[in-house]
Amino acid sequence: MTFGEEVGGSLNRESLLIATLIELADNLVDDYDVIDVLTVLSHRCVEAIDVDAAGVLLASPVGELQFVASSSESMTVLELFQIQANEGPCVDCFRDGLAITNQSLDEADGRWPAFTPRALAQGFRAVHSLPMRLRGRTIGALNLFRTHQGSLTDDDVTLAQGLADVATIAILQHRSSMDAHTLNAQLSNALNSRVIIEQAKGMICQSTGCDMDEAFNRLRAHARNHNEGLTDLATRVVAKSISPSDLDQWMKPIRS
Amino acid sequence: MTTQRLLDIFTLMERLGRESSNGIELCGVAAEFMSLDGAGIALVHDGGELSSLCTSNETAKALMELELTLGEGPTVDAGRGDAVAAANLIEAGASHWNLYRPEALALGVRAVFGYPVRLGAVHFGALNLFRCSPGPLDTDQATDAYLMASVIGRAILTYQAGGSADRLVGELNGSSMLDFRIHQAAGMLAVQGSMSVRDALVSLRAHAFGIGCPLSELADRVVTRSTRYAPETGKWLLEPENSRDPQ
Repeated sequence: MTFGEEVGGSLNRESLLIATLIELADNLVDDYDVIDVLTVLSHRCVEAIDVDAAGVLLASPVGELQFVASSSESMTVLELFQIQANEGPCVDCFRDGLAITNQSLDEADGRWPAFTPRALAQGFRAVHSLPMRLRGRTIGALNLFRTHQGSLTDDDVTLAQGLADVATIAILQHRSSMDAHTLNAQLSNALNSRVIIEQAKGMICQSTGCDMDEAFNRLRAHARNHNEGLTDLATRVVAKSISPSDLDQWMKPIRS
Repeated sequence: MTTQRLLDIFTLMERLGRESSNGIELCGVAAEFMSLDGAGIALVHDGGELSSLCTSNETAKALMELELTLGEGPTVDAGRGDAVAAANLIEAGASHWNLYRPEALALGVRAVFGYPVRLGAVHFGALNLFRCSPGPLDTDQATDAYLMASVIGRAILTYQAGGSADRLVGELNGSSMLDFRIHQAAGMLAVQGSMSVRDALVSLRAHAFGIGCPLSELADRVVTRSTRYAPETGKWLLEPENSRDPQ
């Protein structure tokens, strides 16, 4: 599995897009971990579109929106996704099946009373949410945050919707036929994978004294280095068949 | 998230709970809620073995015993985490359960469904649903089955933590089951107390009930290290010097 090497910051946007598409296509024909793919996709959103954070929320079969992957694992950013189980741009986007673009948080006017102040407090000024649709059913939303005002271009929005569609395909896990039973099972599995990862993060955090952000990065680094699925590795951590202290160290990438 | 369907479950729980001897009638609730011919719930234990928690009628009981004896069937698959549906057992290709299929047919069962009852890596149990006529679950039923499995998971946890039916209603109305802090806190507690994440999820709830604190708030305190469990004394300690700021 060669998926998810960091795509260098020096590439121009066109090259970056081509690299991203090849990377995703390569992986979606193989066995893959859905949380890992969605995490990479979130990172690529931040690199290819003029946004500062991106995350994927999926709806459970019962219709509860839950966070599954993000470009940042910091607790403050995760909180912004978590709060959208109840209210926020993703909830509206999911409910109506329509994109919300260039929503200025300064002008949100009490539309999201719990979400907006927290997003502003973290320095975000604008938010976008793109529906993840499958044959008439909305299964989740791609959430994009920006720290500065100003509009995304039409090209940006098209690209973001394209990446949201790729995320939808990733959830389906290369099934050719997708009846309601199978789709519900895939959604439920993807959401449950995220819970397994959170349980493992707590164990790693307590065992090694690191923070939640680093716990995730160590899990991911170890999974890649040893060609193991992220969820499979997290399951082994929870089952205590691998000790958190035996996970590979994570080297913080040097970024401009 | 409180929806009309969840309120329907509460109403059923209250009515069937009054009629039952032990006050808990989860299988009866599941069967009636889903408008199916019967339901069974199995518990999954640490080694992966199953035991019957409850069944809604004689056929459900026989069906569950069949699975526990043969070691195959929808409940067994669901206990491992796979949601399964065999909408017509008469068709030989409907399932890979070669031993189970003819025996289930002999009981008059035509369609069986299995749903995992799990929270992350912890498999608590499995919900078995069946019908004596063939056919898949409709879209609403398929959604209801996930809601029912989620309610069952929280019920098992709540009762194991010593909570009452009232506690369960409070929990179902409250924080989401997928609240990531609760799961991070369970992971931390598992290491602090050298226990399994399964036991940590139960202990976290038991302590929240004991001190009258919402579960998500206690989880937040564990994650921000302002509360921890001390295994040497079995006590929960407050760490007031730790800031409440998220790490």
